[in-house]
Amino acid sequence: MRINIYMIGVGGQGLITTSNLIGAAATSRGIKVLTSETHGLSQRGGSVDVHVRLGDVNSPLIPLGGADLVIAFELLEAFRAAPYINENTKIIVNSRLIRPPTPRLRLPSAEELINKLNAIRNVKIIDAFNTAIKLGNPIVENMVLLGAAHAAGLNLAIDENAIIEAIKSTMRMPELNVKAFKMGIDLVNGSSPR
Amino acid sequence: MACGKRFMLGNHAIAQGFLEAGISVAMGYPGTPSSEIMEYLMEEGGKRGIYAEWSSNEKVALEGAYGAAMTGARAIATMKHVGLNVGMDPLMSSAYTGVEGGLAIVTADDPGMWSSQNEQDNRWVGLHAYIPVLEPYDPANAKELAQIAMEFSEKMKHPVLFRTVTRVSHTRGPVYVCDGKSPVFGKGIDRTQKRFALVPANARKLKAELVGRWAKIEEAVEELPVKVEEGDPGLLVITSGSAFAYVMDSIKELEISPTVINLSVPVPVQRRKVLDLATKANKIIVVEEGDPVVETQIKAVLFDEGIKVPVLGKSNFVSPVGELSIDITNSVLAGAMGIEAPRRRGMDLGYEPPQRPPVFCPGCPHAASYYELKLASTTSKVKPLFSGDIGCYSLGINPPFDEEDVLTDMGSSLGVGMGINRGTNGRSFVVSIIGDSTFFHSGLPALASAIYNKTPLLLIVLDNRTTAMTGGQPNPTQAIPIEEAVRGLGVRNVYSIDPFNVKEAVNTMRNAIDAVKRGETAVVVSKRACALEAARKLRREGVEPLIYSVVEDACKACGICYNMIACPAIQPKDDGRAWIDPNSCVGCSVCAQVCPYDAIKPSGNLDWIKRWGETL
Repeated sequence: MRINIYMIGVGGQGLITTSNLIGAAATSRGIKVLTSETHGLSQRGGSVDVHVRLGDVNSPLIPLGGADLVIAFELLEAFRAAPYINENTKIIVNSRLIRPPTPRLRLPSAEELINKLNAIRNVKIIDAFNTAIKLGNPIVENMVLLGAAHAAGLNLAIDENAIIEAIKSTMRMPELNVKAFKMGIDLVNGSSPR
Repeated sequence: MACGKRFMLGNHAIAQGFLEAGISVAMGYPGTPSSEIMEYLMEEGGKRGIYAEWSSNEKVALEGAYGAAMTGARAIATMKHVGLNVGMDPLMSSAYTGVEGGLAIVTADDPGMWSSQNEQDNRWVGLHAYIPVLEPYDPANAKELAQIAMEFSEKMKHPVLFRTVTRVSHTRGPVYVCDGKSPVFGKGIDRTQKRFALVPANARKLKAELVGRWAKIEEAVEELPVKVEEGDPGLLVITSGSAFAYVMDSIKELEISPTVINLSVPVPVQRRKVLDLATKANKIIVVEEGDPVVETQIKAVLFDEGIKVPVLGKSNFVSPVGELSIDITNSVLAGAMGIEAPRRRGMDLGYEPPQRPPVFCPGCPHAASYYELKLASTTSKVKPLFSGDIGCYSLGINPPFDEEDVLTDMGSSLGVGMGINRGTNGRSFVVSIIGDSTFFHSGLPALASAIYNKTPLLLIVLDNRTTAMTGGQPNPTQAIPIEEAVRGLGVRNVYSIDPFNVKEAVNTMRNAIDAVKRGETAVVVSKRACALEAARKLRREGVEPLIYSVVEDACKACGICYNMIACPAIQPKDDGRAWIDPNSCVGCSVCAQVCPYDAIKPSGNLDWIKRWGETL
């Protein structure tokens, strides 16, 4: 078994926390996991990506076109995942658009970007940010995305309870985070919230 | 704590390995990708009675660990690769004198330059300094090898270099951890021997001893681990460090089976282990992260033994630029075997997103200082040459600030700035910009030189009370007021500003510029705690927050707030009016001060700004 998860987003969105949860959950189930993050010059606001590799792996970086699952935490950043995507890659995209702070930058509308993404197979666009706000705190946006990713393929490697246990043992506000995680699962499965 | 498997960061695994080896002293200077090693040692080592400190620079850190190891203690110094340049002086000496206890110097190299000015391969330093280098390939291996490195150092009574890279330091994986040894402190130094006193007469004797010890080290490294994957003996792949992990994944993917040997000691190369295999090979490929360090040595070994076999590597077959990946090792191995590597390119999604360059955080005091410096120099009618330095404030190179013209290495803002002034025969108006941590790291000697040699320049010290760029480590500014240090050095024109008081800051900077116009040295200390650190601390303390918002009718869409301060919390709406993201704003108040229409208003408690000024 080998699952490559490519995560991309904007610094401050909680990508590293999310990958740590996957790592702790996998380790608790005896599954080998390697995660590798790039954080460059600044702590906030730049592009951040994390490579997560589960199963029979030695090296930390996903090869080009080698992602089984992509979790894009932000709409523009989703397009930066292109080099890792193949025709079978499952892709979870957060519909939130965070404007790069470049003065006088012209951007397509969110609708246009979403339409482009919907043209490829296996894309699921979810509104994790507003879901998190409805749950009471935008900070749990990442857990909504993790839940969505779990339903979209991470569940083949790690069971739901392993992740819930990892949330409970490592995070502040465990109840809210578990709720957000479950909400993410429901958003992909299309079932009514539990 | 019972032994068990934990999911750990590579740097934490390195620290854990040294803890289990019984180190008692650890000193370091922060730098990506090394910083988490010392952070872990402070946290975990403290519980075990280990002394761990952030030193003011790498030279001091290395000397501290070296001194401890002279007494018989087990000690480490940690730094990023370029930090070792600063520590070179004691490093070279440590090989001559050797040590009584154990001494490991951890160098975290940054192939790919994710957050560095170069990608120097510090394994060369081992050859240069007669110091063996050990190199792990993943977090689990890093923990084991750190322990081995410390024991080897003490056994040989000689320092060792422990070279990690970004993809080991910043990779997380399962690591087997145990309690390990209790800290090993030293007994002292035998005053009769003068073994550690490198006067020439002593040093000449020690050089001969060093060469003899190096020969013993070359033998002893043969006892340290290698990993051999048996396969077709005709094709031998030699790896070191993270290259091993990539090669193992490539072999599986390409469905090939060469013989692979991974060396845990790239310097001096574990030659006998390699020779056994090399005699059976008709082609050798050396895959390593960085430069052809192993390859160069292997070629010399083969030449000495009269073995003629082609050796492919970084000097002739694999690019020494950037970091390795599976795609690279795939094409290297496939190319060497004359087979096809899988060609994958990803997918065209029909849109190229704009770059998202790193920017100053919302409420960053540096952004305010740069805005004020621009205003002050423009209104004082000077056209400065901005000599920058290494830190978050390097981002001042970006628009709209454009106030970093040269920046090369730690502390260079002063040294290079003085050279620019002298090189143009005084025609350049030089503004040197340095952070608090960098000031204490290597700005102090340069400032002494500027004062003594009467160099007219303006020094701006951006004192955000912490080493922010590497994650907010403490540094001497929290104990030593920079203004007082500078006054003590004899600077008459010393000014303090609060960058969150825009009008006063600009006026004070103008006074400082006038002093430089008169041919004097002037120093402005711009003091305000890092926004990330301050906001975190104030929220934890339960201080009622403050945020700003735009009064829509009052905003005239002039764009000064979002175009000139470039705060990422402020965004233009379609009609050009400003909008402040309430989730990002941290209440610094600078935008409200620069708005000419008084259209930005606070909500919350104004006490927040005062409390912010008192943090750190």
